[in-house]
Amino acid sequence: MTSIWKNNRAALIIVALTVVILGGIIQTMEPKVWVSIMLSGATLASLYFLVASGLSLIFGLMDVLNFAHGVLFVLGAYVGLSTFLNPRLLFNTLPIFFVLIASIMMSQHLGRAFWSRITDTRTRRIATVVLLAAAVGLVLLALRGFPMRALNAFNITAVGGLVTTANAQDPLALMLRRLLLLALGGVPLGLLLSPAERPEEVSLRPVWQTALIAGTSALIGILLLVWRDSGEVWMLALSPDVRFILALIMGTVAGALGGVAIETGLIRPFYGNPVTQLVLTLGLSIAGIDLIEAMWGEEANPPMPTPSLFNESCRSDSIIGWFSEHCQSVDVVGRAFPTYRLFIILVGVLVFIGVGLMLRRTRLGMIIRAGVQDSEMVQALGINVRRVFTMVFALGSALAAMGGVIAAPYLGVFPAMGSIFQLQAFIAVVIGGMGSFIGAAVGTVILGMARAFGDHFVAAGIDLPFLDTVIKGSPAIARASTVLIMAIVLLVKPSGIFGKKE
Amino acid sequence: MEETLPISAQSAARRWLSAWWPYLLVLAFLVLFPLLAGVTIGDPTVAQEGTGSLGNLMLRAESGAAKFWQGMIIQILIFAIFAMSYDLLLGYSGILSFGHAMFFGTGGYAIAILIGRNFDWPFGLALAAVIVIALVQSLVFGVLSLRVKGVYLAMVTLAFAEMFYILAEAGDFRVYTGADDGLHGFPVPAYLSATDHRTRFYYLTLVFFVAVFLIIKRLVDSPTGKVMVASRENENRATMIGFNTFWYKLTAFVAAGVFAALAGALSALYKVSVTPSMLSLGRTIDALAMTIIGGLGTLVGPVLGATIIQLLGYWLERWFGPSWTLIYGIIFMLIVIFLPYGIVGTLRVRSFRLKEGWKQLQQTLAGK
Repeated sequence: MTSIWKNNRAALIIVALTVVILGGIIQTMEPKVWVSIMLSGATLASLYFLVASGLSLIFGLMDVLNFAHGVLFVLGAYVGLSTFLNPRLLFNTLPIFFVLIASIMMSQHLGRAFWSRITDTRTRRIATVVLLAAAVGLVLLALRGFPMRALNAFNITAVGGLVTTANAQDPLALMLRRLLLLALGGVPLGLLLSPAERPEEVSLRPVWQTALIAGTSALIGILLLVWRDSGEVWMLALSPDVRFILALIMGTVAGALGGVAIETGLIRPFYGNPVTQLVLTLGLSIAGIDLIEAMWGEEANPPMPTPSLFNESCRSDSIIGWFSEHCQSVDVVGRAFPTYRLFIILVGVLVFIGVGLMLRRTRLGMIIRAGVQDSEMVQALGINVRRVFTMVFALGSALAAMGGVIAAPYLGVFPAMGSIFQLQAFIAVVIGGMGSFIGAAVGTVILGMARAFGDHFVAAGIDLPFLDTVIKGSPAIARASTVLIMAIVLLVKPSGIFGKKE
Repeated sequence: MEETLPISAQSAARRWLSAWWPYLLVLAFLVLFPLLAGVTIGDPTVAQEGTGSLGNLMLRAESGAAKFWQGMIIQILIFAIFAMSYDLLLGYSGILSFGHAMFFGTGGYAIAILIGRNFDWPFGLALAAVIVIALVQSLVFGVLSLRVKGVYLAMVTLAFAEMFYILAEAGDFRVYTGADDGLHGFPVPAYLSATDHRTRFYYLTLVFFVAVFLIIKRLVDSPTGKVMVASRENENRATMIGFNTFWYKLTAFVAAGVFAALAGALSALYKVSVTPSMLSLGRTIDALAMTIIGGLGTLVGPVLGATIIQLLGYWLERWFGPSWTLIYGIIFMLIVIFLPYGIVGTLRVRSFRLKEGWKQLQQTLAGK
């Protein structure tokens, strides 16, 4: 008993203090007020958690502070929105990725033969530059004049309805020509991605397996393109619930792929050089947001429609009633609360339990926990830590992107949403302790509650007994207050509530 | 027994010259620039009767493209001061701060508010107040954030800077800060107006730049600076030798904060406007990019980086329109990947190798 107290003294003190402060605040309010405030706080906390948990895991395992995490959040939101409202965009862009991935996979097999022929360092360097130029040139040539803007113009006009204009998309023959060029461009990319050092030691799948996977991928891509018109009609006729689930899947997968791309392209070559990694992700966060703005436009989109499960304009008396009525709000202790926000809370809790169980109960989770402690030792025990790094990066990115999709109906979709959530996630992770999964959860809950109560008090005003007037402020003060909490935690325990001592 | 040679005054001067001639050359160029620009790209039609040839030259320097390029160099020098102060943190002391913009922005806001209609302080007093404010601010936040290290410190400083950004944008202090519009057209003393007396402002900025450069150079060459570098390289070892590295890092933090505030104040005076974006992460990223592109841990690096980024930004915006930041981000990442020590750092490594190779060649030729 004493050891628990000793080990987690600061954590217990802070949690107890939070409970006392919350209790004190709640004392002065009616139940219906504080319950709805706490639910709003939980909604925010859930979204913060989806971003912060990935950040914390990535930092804990590989000491990388990913400044591009907010970009992945925005990417998820935009991909989700496009899937929900504008499937035409998907049918035109997905084949590009399928074909590119198939080509890269196949050329990995060429990589071994290619790099083992070139032994001279100087020639290797020249070959790298030539390959890079060829890959960039071919991909740019393939995508020249791709009508991205026109394809996106339907986002707002096509709410729920069918897209009628056919001119926006390229004709089929042109698209196939683009795909052919992309397949060619994937070859130098694949050669670049296969390791140049000691190529004979790289273990690859048998050629027929790769060919099968790559062939299926390319086939799916081409079929999507061929059936794009009927597919679009079919998708828009689906119920909004199904489309929402599709959006969730697409957004999450896009985030995971983005994470893999960032890890392999920008992070992996620079392990052991954290400042370079950090500056690179920072550069990516500038370029990434600009890229998203170039593709989807700079203006804010209206919130994505909520799925029909949460969209009937009525008010259920209880959660039980909502199961049959699908109302958009539900009665919580005498006040209406949107059911979609309850769904956000549910997703956050489910992710917390799911990832927590994964970390506690599975072999991968064991490796991750061991890697957080000492990744060199794990490597020495014969486990391919680099592959685990990639998987954790993909997982963290996927969680952030999922957060983006879920936040889309609640907050709307705009390019700046990522940096806001990223900053709050940073603060939450610092409060909770970097690398600690539980810490990320506790930190986000504290932040969410602070924001919700702060917003409430700023709107209602604080009536201090020794002052005549009620102090009122703008929401900005509530936003700044989270930094104050972080400063206090840092003064008490610099490594965060659940952080280890250095 | 070694013989001590008397160093004559002449050879001392020669040694001083041989160490400083590149700096002097650049300084000479910067001092002569308004005149050169006035002769070459100034507007010749502004010449007036009876002002003499030198007066006419000054008039030409205040016109057309000459005026514009002086403005460009003023901005480069301001950002060079800012980037040098950042390099004192990251390059010399190894402190990765993401909140450096809070000093830049606070310096700008402080001078704008103090000489503005709310306080209406005399200019000199306001400038002194800016330095005092920056001292106090950097002391408080230095003590707070230097409790943690590495990436933690990056995030903590980022959050502090964000707090200042939010407060500057908040509607509660609109009377003082102008909320999200910022402050524009505050009464800068007429003798310092950058629109009427561009050349005068140019020389003012140049004086500040040279002073800051010399102070930082003196600081990093002093024993204090050596301890800063030692704590960057291996903090445990520096502590073990007996240095309290906290105080040295705090010194660097405070000095960097004051110089950044000075740069912010100059920027505010030049543009006669301050906006919340001066406090945003974007400004810190600018300083970081300039330092890293130029070369960490060198003083010439940030100056070179500031020049490159200002000119690059100007040309990219002209060529690519609003989407130039995308290309800027990509160029930034490519430079980080391919020139990991920055331009000056890479050049130094190269020349070092060249010298070694030259020595080897001589030895081989001598038959050793």
